Amino acid sequence: MMRRAWALPLGILLLAALPDVAHACPVCFDPREENRFAFLATTIFMSLVPLGMIGGVGLWLRKRARDLKGLPPEDPSESTSE
Amino acid sequence: MSLPRGSRAEPAPSRKLVSDAVMGMLLFVFTEVMLFSGMISAHTIVKSRSAGQMWPPFGQPRLPAEETALNTAALLASGVALLVAHFAFRKAPRRAQALLAAAVLLGAFFVAFQGREWVALLGEGLTMTSSTYGAFFYLIVGTHGLHALAALAALAWAWWRLRKGTLTAAQFGAVQIFWYFVVLVWPVLYFRVYL
Repeated sequence: MMRRAWALPLGILLLAALPDVAHACPVCFDPREENRFAFLATTIFMSLVPLGMIGGVGLWLRKRARDLKGLPPEDPSESTSE
Repeated sequence: MSLPRGSRAEPAPSRKLVSDAVMGMLLFVFTEVMLFSGMISAHTIVKSRSAGQMWPPFGQPRLPAEETALNTAALLASGVALLVAHFAFRKAPRRAQALLAAAVLLGAFFVAFQGREWVALLGEGLTMTSSTYGAFFYLIVGTHGLHALAALAALAWAWWRLRKGTLTAAQFGAVQIFWYFVVLVWPVLYFRVYL
């Protein structure tokens, strides 16, 4: 029983030692500096855009909540029709 | 009247933070911003791979940056007209009519000019399949053109409702967000693709 308990982790450890180094990043080893920089810059850009949008709307909603505090409830039939 | 023990008082009616129309449009615009960010990122990476080589590639026509700068100015002017219309709408809705019409006309000029430019570029041999350069141009600028058409239709609809006196502030707000998105994303595309 004790032998079986060791067999699985040992097997996984041995398998981990077998493969060659995997170059998962397609550009980390690209000799062209411009290309590496483009990947890095666009990764940062794509990561920050959603955070910026969510943060921006959050701040705007907070400001709006403060502005509307204490105002009477709005008229649902609010339109341009006279 | 006293409330039964354990029950909670109903919250006092209050103003909605954002109307459903505006919130829905904001969420839609968020997804569109990510779409354009993805396309711009892909374009930046492909362009960087051609560093040291010709961009645009050999045999491909150059994009008319100067003429499109004029078109860009028209689109930005349309955004300004809509912003002024927004303030006029808050004071007296009917005052916004002429400004909204000006925004629609300037937007229509932009779309028509883009169409003319496409016809000329197709005639010069720049197509979706002629090069990566052409493929990116038509994909990015074409996607923006489709958005501009849809937003223009929304603007025209808003103008029509304003004329009839049935345009609500929420509807106008949602249409404005859509058009501002079309206007503000364009300079980014212009600098990345044309220059």
